[in-house]
Amino acid sequence: MSVSSVLEDAVEFAENPEPRCPCVLLLDTSGSMNGPALQALNDGLRSFKEDIARDSLASRRVEIAVVTFNSVVEIVQEFVTADQFEPPILEARGMTHIGAAIDQALDMIQERKQQYRKNGVAYYRPWVFLITDGAPQGEPDAVVEMAAQRVKSDEASKRVAFFAVGVENADMARLSQLTVRAPVKLVGLNFVEMFVWLSASMQKISQSKVDEQVALPPPGWGAV
Amino acid sequence: MPGASESNSDAKHLSLPGSASSSVTEARWRVVAASVIGVSHRKVGLPCQDSHAWRVLPGGILIAAVADGAGSAPLAEVGSKCAADAAIEVANENADRILAAGNSGSEDNCAAELKLCLNAALSAVETEAEKRGAAVRDLATTLILVFAAPNWTAAIQVGDGAVVLRETDGSLLSLTTPPDAEYANETTFLTTPAATKTAQHGFHAGVGAQLALFSDGLQRLALLLPAGTPHSPFFAPLFRFAADSTDTVAADEQLTAFLTSPRITERADDDLTLLLATRI
Repeated sequence: MSVSSVLEDAVEFAENPEPRCPCVLLLDTSGSMNGPALQALNDGLRSFKEDIARDSLASRRVEIAVVTFNSVVEIVQEFVTADQFEPPILEARGMTHIGAAIDQALDMIQERKQQYRKNGVAYYRPWVFLITDGAPQGEPDAVVEMAAQRVKSDEASKRVAFFAVGVENADMARLSQLTVRAPVKLVGLNFVEMFVWLSASMQKISQSKVDEQVALPPPGWGAV
Repeated sequence: MPGASESNSDAKHLSLPGSASSSVTEARWRVVAASVIGVSHRKVGLPCQDSHAWRVLPGGILIAAVADGAGSAPLAEVGSKCAADAAIEVANENADRILAAGNSGSEDNCAAELKLCLNAALSAVETEAEKRGAAVRDLATTLILVFAAPNWTAAIQVGDGAVVLRETDGSLLSLTTPPDAEYANETTFLTTPAATKTAQHGFHAGVGAQLALFSDGLQRLALLLPAGTPHSPFFAPLFRFAADSTDTVAADEQLTAFLTSPRITERADDDLTLLLATRI
């Protein structure tokens, strides 16, 4: 047996938890999403899971939570590492309570960070990925406005990276008022490609040390 | 394995003739070191962006440096090599002053001297950037510098990575530890404004029997985090290996093989540098 393999066998590693890369998927399940859009979104979620599962480190480091919103905001999936993630099958109905949904996502992130810190788990800057085919609907303007302010302040202090994707007839102008980063218009219903991109981005973040913002692979699935 | 062979030739190139493996009887230190390319770097076609350099000086002094280029910086491998080499050059030139400061027992004076070495390394990186018509941040790199005198050891560090010292009685301590940052992929670089002013430094009075310098890729395997205490089942076999390695060329290769072995790469996908120094 060579010296190096003796070394390999002898050295024991410290048991530190994997650093986590949290990502909240904030998904519009209002009535207008029903039909092909929702089907494509469900397919996209499965591709996301499959793609990220191919990378063993990323699947232990990326944590996914799913929040849906229509007339109610629902946590469909609490944060789990990607290897534990079972893509939900979504159904659509009701209005579009984006403001309350954004609040929910930012609350979850804040809480998750506290848990990380309490347990000595290192983490990366959390992402929120909002997908909608409409505009805020059925909730007071003040709720939406406050959510938008919160996104701005959390972006400015680097607490979160917040991305918005508009589907089909989404009101892109309204969406751009909610986020700091320019929203991306999904080309057709190309959710699969979008989620593969998201998976690649998450893998990249969870495995690289960077200066400031990660240089992300360019989206081929949408237009800014 | 391009990264690995590169690091071996680096190590040979950087050791002065007669100072290390080629004449063990003259030397007071034996150094085994390797920088290897990380799995994640290979996947996206990045080179090994870690560098290391070291030199044994007369009087039983060792100077050693480890630098880790930023993954996002296009010339990170240039920056890390430039920073590590320059730090060794300057520490060598200023060795008498650093030695006097440390011998006086003043940790602060010693740290101030080592800070000058960091500043000189930064200047070297800035000059290199200018020469290449690049921005300084394109050469962003961390830097760890250790000066080990017969009766004391001092370390200074910008960014992550750490220095672990083994005392003559076998106990381990961290001379520097990875600094706290909110996000796991955030660190300070030599090129970050005012970075050298806030550099972390450590001083150990007493004989350091062995030293380990490593880049952040090994942090999670080698240290108990977040405290940063050395994980002795990690270090004990490595220090034993370093102490027993009379053929340092072969030992560098063995260390490279170890750092690229599956047990390591399935846990750490970043570039990895480990420099093990043994007082002999």
